[in-house]
Amino acid sequence: MKIITKLIIFSVFITTNLSYAQTLNWANLQKEQRHIASLAIGLDYSLTLSVGYGYQLKTNFPIVVGAEYAMPSGKNLGDDFKTKVGGQVRWFRVGDFRFSTKVQGIFRRYENNYVRLNNFGADFSGVIGYYKPKWFLAGEVGFDKAIVTHFKHTEAMKENFAAKDGWYNPATGGNFYYGLQSGFSWRSHDLILKAGKIITQDFRTTPLLPFYAQIGYNLKIK
Amino acid sequence: MNRTFSIISATLLTFFIFSCEKELSINEAGNLVPKTVEQDSSIPSIKVNSTQLHAETFGSPTDPMLVILHGGPGSDYRYLLNCKAFADQGYYVVFYDQRGSGLSKRHTKNTYSIQIMLDDLSGVIAHYKTSVTQKVFLLGHSWGAMLATAYINAYPKAINGAILAEPGGFIWQDVLDYVGRSRSFRFTSETLNDATYLDQFITGKQDEQAILDYKFSLMASADESAESSLGNDGPLSFWRSGAVIQEALFEVGNKEKPDWTNNLKSYTTLVLFIYSERNKSYGLTYAQKISSAYPNVQLEKINGAGHDMLSFPTGWNNFYPIALNYLNTL
Repeated sequence: MKIITKLIIFSVFITTNLSYAQTLNWANLQKEQRHIASLAIGLDYSLTLSVGYGYQLKTNFPIVVGAEYAMPSGKNLGDDFKTKVGGQVRWFRVGDFRFSTKVQGIFRRYENNYVRLNNFGADFSGVIGYYKPKWFLAGEVGFDKAIVTHFKHTEAMKENFAAKDGWYNPATGGNFYYGLQSGFSWRSHDLILKAGKIITQDFRTTPLLPFYAQIGYNLKIK
Repeated sequence: MNRTFSIISATLLTFFIFSCEKELSINEAGNLVPKTVEQDSSIPSIKVNSTQLHAETFGSPTDPMLVILHGGPGSDYRYLLNCKAFADQGYYVVFYDQRGSGLSKRHTKNTYSIQIMLDDLSGVIAHYKTSVTQKVFLLGHSWGAMLATAYINAYPKAINGAILAEPGGFIWQDVLDYVGRSRSFRFTSETLNDATYLDQFITGKQDEQAILDYKFSLMASADESAESSLGNDGPLSFWRSGAVIQEALFEVGNKEKPDWTNNLKSYTTLVLFIYSERNKSYGLTYAQKISSAYPNVQLEKINGAGHDMLSFPTGWNNFYPIALNYLNTL
């Protein structure tokens, strides 16, 4: 693996501690609400359940950093999962319109009868929307890149072909996504809904599950 | 503070040491998928109909020819190698990986058509046929049985008999219905998750066929799942899947909605049609419906087996005597 790639991955994953996938109502998030716990269920390449934690930094404009763990459904719970570490920044507001971006470092695993994949990736997205204290509606556009992946094949695969184990590059995958997010807020609670479409990076094909959707709940604590 | 610094340093050092191994290219044949006949001249092959096919034969070239047609589209003939046994019983057994499948040459997606698959089969038969009087039989499994029927429908006089194992259908709507039934999984199942969750790890462009073939191979595990209605015994052997031809021929089917039955009434030769006991998506009723397109059918159930009835001992041992007896009577 090239040093520069390592540095990028490590920077994204460990050091910069950027984005977090919590969907936030920026108009309802108060400065003193430092801790945000979330729970969500939805479609994210599978039926997934995710839990997360976010921490709002003491800065002039809102920055929330945090981490998330998502696990898909299936008989073998835990063989596939996705973790995200990162943060999101609300860069500016014009009236009730707000613009934010997020950058996430991703570590995810996939396993079936033939292979175990461990992937380091990154997710970049921008959100622009209309935010009121009790509700919001926003559009998001993002890119999820599988930067480098380690392949470890099972004996079942090697009986067919001795596929080589190891780190593979260039990037093994990438998908764009775009959609809407909305939510209702009351006191320290948010109920979040979001949905959208996924398209692969060549803009010509789509994943088997070509859309995402999520219903989530945030609890904000001072 | 010093302890924290030490932990971070150790983590960083470990990360860099373990990531110093040489990285591999995902789209290079030989890494995740084997090379094709185009890339490896040591693989047995023939050149017909402007393509190069991975092919092998067993038995005497002057014996009646039995051409084995694998399923998919996009599988290969490795899982059907039990059929070599017919060579010991006086048949010239011909195996080939269809265009774009197995170890045969890959082509661009827009070049695939049903007609070109038929032309390839004509080319294979012509390549191996040693006399004009040599009989030619087809043995097709799943998609291979559909291909065999399309061929017989187009060239009924060219084929002296056929063994058809659970073809999806001969009319496009039947194919869609069968695929829908046999690929139906619970939304929360491990099988469906294994298929859909992979899309965030691996994506490939249409000209990156090594990536696409590898990804398709990984998804083949769905067929062997206990959640599958196919009733298979276990994983089928394969060399290399053909992702692009699979997608291409499915798109061709959706567009052209083929009907491969309109000339079958003229084919009065007895056809052996087999279905498996355990494939819940098939069964007697569907087998009767599909096989009724032929005027003269011997319908047989293979007990103790699923859709992969030709590949595992119980299914094969139940199938082989029936098939051999059928061929010997023609």
